[in-house]
Amino acid sequence: MPKIHNIIPAEVRKPQFIEFGKIPVNQYSRTIEEEKQNYSSADFVRIYRDMVIIREFETMLNLIKTTNEYRGISYNHPGPAHLSIGQEASAVGMAYHLDTDDFIFGSHRSHGEIIAKGLSAIHKLDEETSYSLMKNYFGGNALKVVEKGFQGEIRDLAVHFLLYGALAEIFARENGFNKGLGGSMHAFFTPFGIYPNNAIVGGSGDISVGAALYKKINRKPGIVVCNIGDASSACGPVWEGICFATMDQYRTLWEGEYQGGLPLIFNFMNNLYGMGGQTMGETMGFGILARLGAGVNPEMMHAERVDGYNPLAVIDAFRRKIQILREKKGPVLLDTLTYRISGHSPSDASSYRTKEEIDLWQKEDSIITYGSLLVSSGITTQDVLDEIREDTSALMTHILELAVDDDISPRLDLDRDPDLIGRMMFSGESRDRMEEGKPETLIPLDENPRVKSIRNKERYYLDKDGKPVSKAKLFQLRDAIFEAIIDRFYKDPSLVAWGEENRDWGGAFAVYRGLTEALPYHRLFNSPISEGAIVGTAIGYGMCGGRVIAEIMYCDFLGRSGDEVFNQLPKWQAMSGNILKMPVVIRVSVGSKYGAQHSQDWSSLTAHIPGLKVIFPATPYDARGLMNSALQGTDPVVFFESQGIYDIGEMFHRPGVPEEYYEIPIGEPDIKRTGSDISILTIGATLYTAIKAADILSEKFGLSAEIIDARTLVPFNYTPVIESLKKTGKIVLASDASSRGSFLKDMAQTITELAFDYLDAPPVVVGSRNWITPAFEMEEYFFPQPGWIIDAIHQKIMPLEGHNPQYDFSDEKTIALNRDGI
Amino acid sequence: MATPVTMPKLGQSVETCIITRWFKSTGDKVSTGDILFSYETDKAAFDMESPADGILLDIFFNEGDEVPVLANVAVIGEKGEETGSFRPGSSRPEDSPRTGTQTRTGIQADADIQPGAGIQANTGIQAGTVSQTAADTRLRISPRARRLALEKGLDYSRLRGSGPNSRIMVSDIEKLLLTGTGDIIPDHTEDKEYTDEAVSNVRKLIAKAMYNSLQNSAQLTHHMSADARKLLAERKRNKEAIASGSTTVELTLNDMVCWCVVQALKKFPEMNSHFLGETIRKFKRIHLGMAVDTKRGLMVPSVRNAESLKLTDLAQKLKSVAEACRKGNINPELILSTSASFTVSNLGSYGVEMFTPVLNLPQVAILGVCSIINRPADLGNNIFGFIPYIGLSLTYDHRAVDGGPATLFLKEIRKQIENFNPGQEIY
Repeated sequence: MPKIHNIIPAEVRKPQFIEFGKIPVNQYSRTIEEEKQNYSSADFVRIYRDMVIIREFETMLNLIKTTNEYRGISYNHPGPAHLSIGQEASAVGMAYHLDTDDFIFGSHRSHGEIIAKGLSAIHKLDEETSYSLMKNYFGGNALKVVEKGFQGEIRDLAVHFLLYGALAEIFARENGFNKGLGGSMHAFFTPFGIYPNNAIVGGSGDISVGAALYKKINRKPGIVVCNIGDASSACGPVWEGICFATMDQYRTLWEGEYQGGLPLIFNFMNNLYGMGGQTMGETMGFGILARLGAGVNPEMMHAERVDGYNPLAVIDAFRRKIQILREKKGPVLLDTLTYRISGHSPSDASSYRTKEEIDLWQKEDSIITYGSLLVSSGITTQDVLDEIREDTSALMTHILELAVDDDISPRLDLDRDPDLIGRMMFSGESRDRMEEGKPETLIPLDENPRVKSIRNKERYYLDKDGKPVSKAKLFQLRDAIFEAIIDRFYKDPSLVAWGEENRDWGGAFAVYRGLTEALPYHRLFNSPISEGAIVGTAIGYGMCGGRVIAEIMYCDFLGRSGDEVFNQLPKWQAMSGNILKMPVVIRVSVGSKYGAQHSQDWSSLTAHIPGLKVIFPATPYDARGLMNSALQGTDPVVFFESQGIYDIGEMFHRPGVPEEYYEIPIGEPDIKRTGSDISILTIGATLYTAIKAADILSEKFGLSAEIIDARTLVPFNYTPVIESLKKTGKIVLASDASSRGSFLKDMAQTITELAFDYLDAPPVVVGSRNWITPAFEMEEYFFPQPGWIIDAIHQKIMPLEGHNPQYDFSDEKTIALNRDGI
Repeated sequence: MATPVTMPKLGQSVETCIITRWFKSTGDKVSTGDILFSYETDKAAFDMESPADGILLDIFFNEGDEVPVLANVAVIGEKGEETGSFRPGSSRPEDSPRTGTQTRTGIQADADIQPGAGIQANTGIQAGTVSQTAADTRLRISPRARRLALEKGLDYSRLRGSGPNSRIMVSDIEKLLLTGTGDIIPDHTEDKEYTDEAVSNVRKLIAKAMYNSLQNSAQLTHHMSADARKLLAERKRNKEAIASGSTTVELTLNDMVCWCVVQALKKFPEMNSHFLGETIRKFKRIHLGMAVDTKRGLMVPSVRNAESLKLTDLAQKLKSVAEACRKGNINPELILSTSASFTVSNLGSYGVEMFTPVLNLPQVAILGVCSIINRPADLGNNIFGFIPYIGLSLTYDHRAVDGGPATLFLKEIRKQIENFNPGQEIY
């Protein structure tokens, strides 16, 4: 909502028509003779070879899957193999112009793309670079395997390396590109510019946008190609990614060299089917996929359908589209028409298509027709092509032999080290900045109006006379988060932030007020209302090497970014074999007052997913220290904030929140008040409810409560909690999350295991009701109240003399509520 | 003006008593002499009579509560009268006591004398202790409490805990460690073929005394019979005298036997003694103990200085102490085993023909009195007829007395019976 753009009624209300231009469909028409200007004979033949290698690789996989044998080698591969037999020309054409600076992202059906991209990169790399790159990858283990007994050129060795690394990955071997942790649907090799393929349909649709942002914002060379299927065009993240990638602001608001469109091609590998659903004629309405570009922006995304059965047509299209990106007029939408001869997977009986249809496409098989063209045009001879096919079969046999040999290609030794994968979940590095250089800012930090205003605030909630400081003078929790973030913006040139209303407005809850003045557009900008893409783009930005803060305005909107938060953000560090880092902080604001869809604490959902660090501070001191740690680290962090306490001052840490930089280790609970009779462990803003309950326990019942603020859900050090229990023997766990499935239940269970002999009563969880959140006026019946904690203690832990409970914590009630599902 | 009901001080050594049962509830109308509640010391059990007429305004202690002697237990007065000033202790939050239906026995370890340790809820939401059903007496103990109990080697199997559903918490175990006592729960499970009832303190005392007696002495019993015609004649005469109004004192056979025993003891002081291990304490006076059956169990009150009593006085004294035992207001000093120098236990009225009474240590002998049986006897002149004989079973401690003197003593009792002569003009 930038003020420099006035929206003039007279303009927007005037009658007019939207004119759509033409979208080219299969317009490539050059003859082979014309193309001889552009390719040497060797180029022509190499294109053929690349297609054959892909075909043979997948034929081999298909035989292994369906017959457990390839050319006398037996092997059983129980995992997936989504093959793209028939699509080789599209893959090779896509990759032809790309080098290692160009990143491709893929889908579950991307063996062809990674091989094509790898072969293209190998061709362009000088041999020395190529060799050192292989030698340095995981200690050169894969190289050693293919190098043994190899005689020939480094380039050919690199082809062996590429095929072996990919196949070993598919077969879950430690020598795979990702230590066997990615597998068929996630095999990738970043040194060749091959970024993650994605087993979630459309998963790359927003991640690749983040990668393009990374290139643009950090002025990195190269483009990004998002290879996804035609059916994924119906997925929300793809549409959100397209919207995110085509925002006007890149051209209207971003300045200087940052002005202009993203270097990104959405390349729909359009094989006409989504599993068995026909996108043309059945499950979609576009007829021709390229039509989708028409409505997105005035450039219609430079959309075009290209004949993906002709490698030269695809190469030509990519050449032209790359030029558009260089002119900063991206992004581009390509509809690369192809056909999958193989089934969706080896178990596919092709019940959704006729044999006649398959036969028709097989007659036009790109390898056969392209080979015939080369022979008929005199570029090469059939003998050469036959030799290529024979050599490729022999090569594939050799690679398969290496990849299935348990001695040559062992799996990760989880017997010797059962925690091996566990340790790969987080990279755990501490890095001031993810990129070198001077961070781009608009004004010096100490001239920032908010920084100046904060300087005059009281950093403890009481003044010198012990009186509460007024809100206007109080250093609040939102100020603490701001301090950590602006500090990092001045340290790490790669750091960027986006989300809804982040710029100008300063975030819906004023955490970012002051950042607009400090940062150019490309470091802080407003996103479309696309929670999926807000997180998905951050993932892409992070995995390419940048640090990013994405904001989800209300926790309730996390559902909109479900796939990104649950399937993508947590997985890629381990699935890459620790090649990728994920320095991504997702700020999630937990609401109140706004009813059922704006008041939910879903921290438990994120804590359940392995691979995320989950933080939920409740005090300014903790918020700043933990945000500092989150921004110093290289792991994905979901950072929960509570809207109810954005304005709270520091009540625990004396003499107040420090002005200098400090970090609080992620995963350490903090004892906010010591006590001896009962422990209360809280998550988030419920800390203050527990404090009130502790006061009642003390005043009315003479009991001294020890209050522990979890601060972090994952990781979590239970030792201080167990130590507290050794003292008290009793514990209540409280948070604003609905009690069923709350992370507190997990904590209670773990505490019971760890401290069973110290327990004098069962750990009791006090959470919100398993209801919709009612209106603000009725919230006291929904969110845990101090009295509920007292009631729970009275009924479940120790009867309190003279106490009349209001909330029924009886066993009968618990059983009844669970029976009824509420 | 309201009247407090105060826990009496029953003997020098008694500091607290436990209320075993309430017969009245708050708000009940009571009259002087009505039984308000039962209570017991570690040695005996008693009933408390109402000291006044009026309404039972307030109850400060519940069943199972341990009450210091001289503390106010309840208040009787007119409706609306203030009772707070009678409440023992400071002004802690008030609670109504449990109702009388919840039976608690044993000793509440809580040395804190505050009443109303239970919880009362009036919102319909009950804490675990209240909602617990009688059948649900499964042992509940927190892991922490169990750990401590095992460390200290404590048996917690019959402890009633203070947590929800009577869960034993660590504080209960700590209390048990500190005071040696706890809140004991009887184990009764309805679907069992038997019931396990908690042993009352009186029962425990008897058990301990009897077991101790058989373990720690060398006792044996001699049996003998005595011609009871003179006793029966005296009994008949006494009945006639009562009918004619010339006396009000009823003489039982037991009274007469006891008198005979006293006379025999005068001649055998070695039988009127305590065996104390290193010494034998021979009493100059005769303190006659008498076994009395009460609903709480066997009690043995003593009649002090019986050697100086006339038969009628002895009869009256015996009657009075027996009555006190049955009522529960016997002076505890009189039921100590050391209080009597010799004991008589009479089972004759039940038809017992012979038995072996157990010594009431440290007394050296006890006489069992058995049923009267008609036996054929030579009446002289070759005439045979039936004569009523009363059976006598003397148990003595062979450590203190040998068989010869014991037999001679028994013969002396027989002689006293057969030649019964109270030496007094009774009627």
